[in-house]
Amino acid sequence: MSYSSTEFSGLSALFKIDLKLFVLVMLIVIIGLATLFSVSGGDINLIIKQLIRIAIGLTAMILLAQIHPDNFRLFSPLLYFFGIILLVLTIFFGVGKSADRWLDFYILRFQPSELMKLFVPLMIASFYSDKSLPPKLKNLSIAVIIIIVPALLIAKQPDLGTALLITSSGVIAIFLSGIKLSHIFLGTGLVIGAIPLLWSFMYEYQKSRVLSFFSPNTDTLGSGYHLAQSKISLGSGGLFGKGYMNGTQSQLDFLPENHTDFIFSAFGEEFGFVGVVILISLYVLVALRGMSISIKATDNFSRILSATLILTIFLYVLVNVGMVVGILPIVGAPLPFMSYGGTSMLTVFAALGIIMSIKSHQRLMRK
Amino acid sequence: MASKYRNETIRKRQRFEEKTGWEEINDATKDRASHKSRALLAVAIVFLLSTFYLNHIFKIQITDHEIYTVKSEDNRIRVRPIEPIRGNIFDRNGNVLAESYDTFDIVAKKENISSKDEFILNASKVFSLNEFEIKDLTSQFEDKKLKEVTLKYNTSIEEFTKLSVDQYLLPEMELIIKSNRRYIYPEAMSHLIGYTGKLSNKDYDSVVDIKDGMTSVGKIGVERFYQNLLSGSPGYEKLETNANNEIIRVLEKKPALRGQDIYLTIDSKLQNYSYDLLENKEGTIIVMNPHSGDILSFVSHPGYDNNLFANGISSKDYKKLLDDKSKPLFNRVLFGQYPPGSIIKPFFGIVALEEGIIDKTKVFACTGAYKLENYKRPFKCWKKDGHMDVNLSSAVASSCDVFFYRLAETSGIDLMHDKLKKFGFGEKTFIDLYGERKGLLPSREWKNQSRQAPWYPGETLNVGIGQGYFLTTPLQLANATSLLASGGESTTPHLFLKSINNGKEQSYKYSENKNTISIDTDSLHIVNEAMWRVVYDKKMGTAAHLKNIEGIEFAGKTGTAQVYNLDKGKTGKKSLQDHALFTSFAPFESPEIVVAVIVDNGGSGSAVAAPIARDIINFYFKNIKTKVAQR
Repeated sequence: MSYSSTEFSGLSALFKIDLKLFVLVMLIVIIGLATLFSVSGGDINLIIKQLIRIAIGLTAMILLAQIHPDNFRLFSPLLYFFGIILLVLTIFFGVGKSADRWLDFYILRFQPSELMKLFVPLMIASFYSDKSLPPKLKNLSIAVIIIIVPALLIAKQPDLGTALLITSSGVIAIFLSGIKLSHIFLGTGLVIGAIPLLWSFMYEYQKSRVLSFFSPNTDTLGSGYHLAQSKISLGSGGLFGKGYMNGTQSQLDFLPENHTDFIFSAFGEEFGFVGVVILISLYVLVALRGMSISIKATDNFSRILSATLILTIFLYVLVNVGMVVGILPIVGAPLPFMSYGGTSMLTVFAALGIIMSIKSHQRLMRK
Repeated sequence: MASKYRNETIRKRQRFEEKTGWEEINDATKDRASHKSRALLAVAIVFLLSTFYLNHIFKIQITDHEIYTVKSEDNRIRVRPIEPIRGNIFDRNGNVLAESYDTFDIVAKKENISSKDEFILNASKVFSLNEFEIKDLTSQFEDKKLKEVTLKYNTSIEEFTKLSVDQYLLPEMELIIKSNRRYIYPEAMSHLIGYTGKLSNKDYDSVVDIKDGMTSVGKIGVERFYQNLLSGSPGYEKLETNANNEIIRVLEKKPALRGQDIYLTIDSKLQNYSYDLLENKEGTIIVMNPHSGDILSFVSHPGYDNNLFANGISSKDYKKLLDDKSKPLFNRVLFGQYPPGSIIKPFFGIVALEEGIIDKTKVFACTGAYKLENYKRPFKCWKKDGHMDVNLSSAVASSCDVFFYRLAETSGIDLMHDKLKKFGFGEKTFIDLYGERKGLLPSREWKNQSRQAPWYPGETLNVGIGQGYFLTTPLQLANATSLLASGGESTTPHLFLKSINNGKEQSYKYSENKNTISIDTDSLHIVNEAMWRVVYDKKMGTAAHLKNIEGIEFAGKTGTAQVYNLDKGKTGKKSLQDHALFTSFAPFESPEIVVAVIVDNGGSGSAVAAPIARDIINFYFKNIKTKVAQR
């Protein structure tokens, strides 16, 4: 083992960083930057902006990694209720283009719903930390309420996509806490029962998006246009892709949102199926590393939290990729670590920070 | 109540901790194992979903790769055709008859215009538009079918250069090149040249060769018949465009191939002169060389302004032409079918001589009428008092009907039909234009088929003087006269002289288009001389009243074709009046031109048609002379 790598791993220990997770994520980040550079037609300013966001994300990650998991557990209810209050405020004072998702504090402008992506898993993990597992029906119901309240508030903005994602991460947390099989059936039954109710709550544009998912060819210039162009980008990429900076679909702007939600398609066009396999593998490895940390964790809170967070990140990957390849409806979800944009970058890095905190603050087991 | 509940939970908790110890609560082996199994299940699901995803992406990227490659190319590549320049049409002396020219429109694409009001304001400054023009511009904006607004039509490059000084005011404006067609003699040559128009679905099913990228095509006339020579080949530009339809670069370019120039046999001076002779009349004039088949004049009067059609005729103008009673859109040369009347007599005469039905000395007496068995009414001669004793020569010269009634009765319809066919009656001449009519050379068989009726002897008599069911086209008359003038060695009437393609000349193939029949020389001589007598026999020639042409003698035959059985055609409606016909060749000794004239409902051939032919012959030998070499 060379001296420098020892020094680096020593450095990573000092910053309480998990080197494997860090390297994997940074590989994805580099792929993201390269793709961004290509689709923007070599726009350095865009890259610099993204680099700044990454730097902020990394800073947040390192800072959070320093905090002991016990503190997360202790402060979870506080953070959660704080988040709920912000969501309520958003309903009354929110701003935004098509939906009021943003809170404007003059110096700071952000989406409280983004915070809840972290606060909901924290709250559930914290709630179950001193309960006997698998949870009893009562505790299960409380967990459901913990999820439902922010989900409904976000759905009201309206931001159905985020509401569903937060619900899903909550469900993952419940699943990891050791839910009984009978409860799973009960939950599935409830969800199926809720679908018509949900549909009646949806706005027209949301309905049309869902419908266009089921028949994307009927309306290529409307909501199905995005998906059609995305598939054309990927499909024309073939096995090895059109080559870096040569993706006609993304370079000539046929692929919409090519540096945000549809960056995966842009990447797939230029690097082909081979590139896609490598990228997906990297995400799978990130998930595996996270799960390995979770298995080695020493208390229920850490286990549930770390696994929930890493699976949530992976879920975001599945949702984004699923939407650009036509497995899921187009809901407008970014690809973690790759899509251009600030808020989601910060959220996923913060989640990483919490996972790393759990990794580096493991208790020594007595037995 | 609340404190009681809280105390109880604390007590429970304490008891639990005493029994098991802190680590066991939070790090119990059971919890640990349970979590691990769930975590592994989650990992399995991660793998499962990833495999499912990759399988789905495999289908898109590998299985359907071809389909999406095509779609991707369709997205970015636009093929823009380059319209070829259409070849020009010249007359035999190299005078332009139809030409292509470019015009420039100054336009602005609507998508590039950000503020409509500001644009109109600036446009009115730059082009100093008046109120009416501003209104037009506004309505162009409102017309959703238009993707661009046209600021100025048919401008020149020079003018655009001048205007570009103000380009900063109107950065949206651009120049668009349009290829147009111009006809130099719109009315006189309209039926001959025809016109071009927008390509339509009908054109695809036609003989015309439609190439990708063509937008206009010859519709009728020479423009139609020689479309494939004139049109050239369109080129194209393969352009890469982005999602906003902006051109990024030219990927490939193939220039258009210019169409060939063609030269017609027409002499524009003679054509225009002939056309003007029919002023205020409706009719046709054909002047052709009897040996070479070259058509020097091809007149159908009245004509129409074919420039209107070339530039897209308005429905108002079109309706006006359709409603015109003189039928200016009707090409009489090609579509007009007239009873030949007395013009048939020389041809019938040759047939009778050749078949030995009569000889040149055979004399019939004309008493002004001819009585046929079983017919109550006698068949009248045009001359009430009769022609007395006439032989074939004088019967042709004086156009005696009775002589030919007898001839017809003796010959019978079958012989007449079979033998007259050789002069081209009842058949197309195969001139190089589409849509030519066949006329009608009646026969027993024809009547049986089309009318389900037997042939009556009286009908034979009518055919004998070119009446009854007999119909000929002006071209057939000119063609048949050419056969007389050339001694049976003519050429198919045609308009094509030569084409020039990149300096290479392609001439009309005369040898391949011979129109040869055998005519007995003596019989021909008798009849031709009789036709000379028509003009020069002061005693009986039906056209002997014509003023002589100095130095030139010509032969001809008058014809007055009854439209309806109206006595002499001097009363009644004009449309029921007789057609005036005259066919002739000149000079008599060695013919250079054949002139066939028909004036629709003009009255007598002798009075109306013959003077026109005489003037044309006169004009030809005075002003055009023998430039037309014998071929």
